[in-house]
Amino acid sequence: MKKFICTTIIAILYFAVNAQDYNKTAMDSMSTEPETKEYSNTGFLLTGYTNASFISEGKTNSFGNIGFSPIFLWRPAKHFFFEGELEMEFEDGQLHINLEYVNINCVLNKYVTFRFGRFLTPFGNFQNLYHPSWINKIPLAPLGFGHDGVGPSSEIGAALSGGFPIGSSKLNYNIYISNGPTLNLGEEEPGEEGNLMFENYSDNNKNKAIGGRLGFLPFSNSSLELGVSMQSAKPGDAGSEYEKIKALMYAYDLNYIKQISFLKGTVDAKAQWNFANVDNAIYPDPDDTTGMGTYTYNNKRDVYYAQFAYRPTMSQNNALKNFEAVVRYSALNLPEEAKENKDITQFIFGLNYWANWRTVVKAAYQPDKDTPRFWLQIAMGF
Amino acid sequence: MKKITIILLAIFSSIIVTVMMNGCASTKLTEKVGAELWGENCSRCHNTPPPNAYTKEQWETITMHMRIRASLTEDETKKIKEFLQSASN
Repeated sequence: MKKFICTTIIAILYFAVNAQDYNKTAMDSMSTEPETKEYSNTGFLLTGYTNASFISEGKTNSFGNIGFSPIFLWRPAKHFFFEGELEMEFEDGQLHINLEYVNINCVLNKYVTFRFGRFLTPFGNFQNLYHPSWINKIPLAPLGFGHDGVGPSSEIGAALSGGFPIGSSKLNYNIYISNGPTLNLGEEEPGEEGNLMFENYSDNNKNKAIGGRLGFLPFSNSSLELGVSMQSAKPGDAGSEYEKIKALMYAYDLNYIKQISFLKGTVDAKAQWNFANVDNAIYPDPDDTTGMGTYTYNNKRDVYYAQFAYRPTMSQNNALKNFEAVVRYSALNLPEEAKENKDITQFIFGLNYWANWRTVVKAAYQPDKDTPRFWLQIAMGF
Repeated sequence: MKKITIILLAIFSSIIVTVMMNGCASTKLTEKVGAELWGENCSRCHNTPPPNAYTKEQWETITMHMRIRASLTEDETKKIKEFLQSASN
């Protein structure tokens, strides 16, 4: 698989270099644009999103989940682009600031853009596209999606991406090389031995993760997108007994959105299924009081979600057309022999009201016999 | 295994229904105009922003951002940008 991906990367780079001649002709109209007039310092833009929530859980309730994520965009030259996002959240009474992504992009030609830095992983579409609170239709992420979930969420590395039409269909692709995940040995979190950790600002070995996503939009109206993603890596520390352990992750995703006349509205269906398989390894047993015990297990886990939303966008009633009903099911399946092995499922109903195109009030309810949960969230893109 | 089979069947059935519902949508992408592409592509992730939400110069930056983030084609990006700029303040 790695050979195939490396060959593909080399082929695309070769294509990128050789496509320049064609590019000069194809982009002729753009080339007539002045280089300095439109792409000056004023190409800078501050955008982003913010959210605030009220959460009722069992016998307690609280205001919280305050988030503020400014996004800095800058287009200093015609083919160069910078993007960076800070993610600020209050958690346990403290302000946490995370550099969600920061990268420099260069449009090499019509079909290839080169990216360097920290970027959201094109592993499925949730983390890459749908996680911002003003886009996500439920106040929280699906189970196992997000930072240190099943599958990567952000990478530090280099990537190539692009899209091109094929008749009335469309293909898009992302290929990247990055630091990749590290293997959790339970030193800080006993019971989580064998989990993959993805928030790595520096690598723990010389191996680099290789991954990518291929998206296919079969219809000219772009209503349906089917995607397949993968990442291959060695997550063990260099020089350790885990150095040769391999991790293979893959995902399938689906996105369908269309305004349907006989339903008098817009349906929006999204789904993603992530798999993470790690070679068997021997881990220290946190339950062994002597400190010498070990255990192993078949380290395969998966997580998926399916979400369906309906908004009566064709209703004659102006108030009604701003409401949106959402339902989402997500499930996390963990290895039976692992210490942390409780499978979890989550079923959430939601009702949203769109005050305008980028401001939404979300109400969501998770029925649960022991601890029913209710969320109220206001999210705004700016 | 049973759960997986049900989910795969549901996805497969959804795709078949979708294919049937979109049978008439066969316009070549290159023939589409900016307004169409704006409506169809932005809504894949979020509500379509109105052209006057940003200035002409800001659309330059935003459409580049979206080209990279959503892997839009160059032709789509150019047409969407021109539409938004022509209709913005």
